[in-house]
Amino acid sequence: MSEPRTGVFICNCGTNIANVIDVEAVRAFALTVPGVTVARTYRYVCSKPGQEMIIKDIKEHALDRVVVAACSPRMHEKTFRKACQAAGLNPYMLEMANIREQCAWPHVDGLAATEKALALTSAAIFRVRQQEPLEGLTAEMCPTTLVLGGGIAGMTAALELADGGHPVVLVEKAERLGGNLARVDLTAPYLDSARDLITERITRVQGSSKIKLMLRSQLKSLTGFVGNFDAEIVTDGGGEATARLGNVIVATGYKEFDAARVTHFGYGKLPNVITSFELEKMLTAGRIETREDRKPQYVAIIHCVGSRSAEFHGYCSRVCCMTAIKYAQEIKSAVPSCHVLDIYIDMNAFGKGQEDFYKRGSEAKTMFLMFGKNDYPFIRKADAKDDCDMLLVMDEQLSGKRIEIPADLVVLMVGMEARADSGEVAHLVNISRDKDGWFIESHPKLDPVATTTDGIYIAGCCAAPKDIPDSVAQARAAAARIMGRIAKGKIEIEAVYAEVDEDFCSGCRMCNELCPYSAIEYDEEKKRSHVISAVCKACGACVAACPSGAIKARHFTDKQIFAEIEGVLA
Amino acid sequence: MTFEPKIVGFLCNWCSYTGADLAGTSRIHYAPNVSVIRVMCSARIDPTFVLKALADGADGVLICGCHPGDCHYTEGNYKMMRRFPLLKKLLADYGIENDRVRLEWVSASEGQRFADVVNDMTERVRALGPSPVKMDLATDMAER
Repeated sequence: MSEPRTGVFICNCGTNIANVIDVEAVRAFALTVPGVTVARTYRYVCSKPGQEMIIKDIKEHALDRVVVAACSPRMHEKTFRKACQAAGLNPYMLEMANIREQCAWPHVDGLAATEKALALTSAAIFRVRQQEPLEGLTAEMCPTTLVLGGGIAGMTAALELADGGHPVVLVEKAERLGGNLARVDLTAPYLDSARDLITERITRVQGSSKIKLMLRSQLKSLTGFVGNFDAEIVTDGGGEATARLGNVIVATGYKEFDAARVTHFGYGKLPNVITSFELEKMLTAGRIETREDRKPQYVAIIHCVGSRSAEFHGYCSRVCCMTAIKYAQEIKSAVPSCHVLDIYIDMNAFGKGQEDFYKRGSEAKTMFLMFGKNDYPFIRKADAKDDCDMLLVMDEQLSGKRIEIPADLVVLMVGMEARADSGEVAHLVNISRDKDGWFIESHPKLDPVATTTDGIYIAGCCAAPKDIPDSVAQARAAAARIMGRIAKGKIEIEAVYAEVDEDFCSGCRMCNELCPYSAIEYDEEKKRSHVISAVCKACGACVAACPSGAIKARHFTDKQIFAEIEGVLA
Repeated sequence: MTFEPKIVGFLCNWCSYTGADLAGTSRIHYAPNVSVIRVMCSARIDPTFVLKALADGADGVLICGCHPGDCHYTEGNYKMMRRFPLLKKLLADYGIENDRVRLEWVSASEGQRFADVVNDMTERVRALGPSPVKMDLATDMAER
């Protein structure tokens, strides 16, 4: 290897870095390190003139390596890689030293901070010496999308893709489309009929020539990588199908919380304690009656059943508060003489039109009572002398008193929870779940429908409780993301992945089992393992574990990390 | 002059490195003794990285990864977790004190925790004094 020609660019970051670190000392130091051709400080290296300085130096000094000592690589690594590329240098010949977030900002002693900045810059110079030009891969993008789940989110995503002219395989576990929304009567806050919302979609899905609908079916396996997945789908009764896919949208929804778990409410024991979904059934049938076929005179609606609780789920299920207000209105209009009691912890009316809806509900002579978090009302059968079926005992927060309330019918607003099979689904498509079992998005704010597995998207309540507008928006967003990638035709795959040197591989297969992405295949004929580059996510678990040292983590090689260690301690 | 330990940190890209960045962004001040090397996942940390750092003169090595159950690569941190006791056994045989090499979980939102870990580790290593084994280990590794 001929002597490297490294350019070192030290950023003042206005005064952010230069106020703490002696940047001139870093520059002077850099020039003493063998292989450094040029070293400069600049006010803002990320600015346009800053980048132009790098480009000019690469060209003028024939630099083959660049170190930028500035902010975190998480901030501007892409920026500087692009600058290298613009000067005709392979972008992987760049290394950054994080002297802002991990040096200037958290340290106050200028001398010590400068010392650390020297170590970090030295590490980057040593490391970049060992870096190699890398090229990414490209692969074909199959235009077919697999949608898991035929609820409002799944159907919307499937139709969006089909309307764009792309084939879809829609897999639904149940025997009919519609999901949980099919169990609902009217929707808050505009009182649209849920049936209207889904019927149009069901009809269009069934009639679409682009959508292959598979009811009573489940995904059995998914292999491959973005643009090139292979799925096995099984249908009840033994049917099996395979499909080639480019992308997957997981829209598997939620399940309702099991009300019997909250013993205070006597659900399953007291016949007139029902869940919100059981009330929906009554509303759809147009008859609100107790088990004894009587019109209730007192209906109590209890919020947060299973939600916002220390014992069950800590999160808010988002849709129940407005649904409860809807029930109050519907019950009032069906049984005008009835007293409706709305028993809540906090009223969450966060969305468009919801505060107005709450206000209208409050004016409709509903009595609102507040209970404390984790201090549930207790329900018991009323005595014969009482004029009602049950009595609710609670510590009411607004009055500060312990009160008894009559009730003939109690409606439990059951929250949402992750489906029992969510772990299985996550495993099949290789995505993660949070502590509550919801699927995790790539970035909660900036990338809410993508996941950390390329080509796998999530939409609707499988990612967290949400209302219909949000579910629909996510479904369309996921479809739009996929259509953008289909339009591009080819997919680019990052150059950072693991590689097996077959000459060193002993065929022990230890790495096969270690890989969380099943990216390592074993060739029975050659008796060697190899990495499917496009599936590899570059974690490096196999590299550290290989007993023969046969696996190389591109851009994170042993040589590069050893050099970095030497540099830090030089 | 008090002894200032040199500690090498190996941090996973997704949780701990981001958490360390957050400590800086939040202007949480901590000891300047840990210099960080970024890896994609704690599972990438080959025990030889730790040995190499100690052999090259580090007074301590700090490894940080995502909390168990939170790994960006699903279960990489569990691999590190299992590897670590073996490494510690080996280090004990070399006579390297327990506090010199440490594994901690730091999430992307735990800037304060990262700062606390660094401060605590720095204090402990400072109390131990300079690493006594770097020369021995270097000779040993060269002979291998």
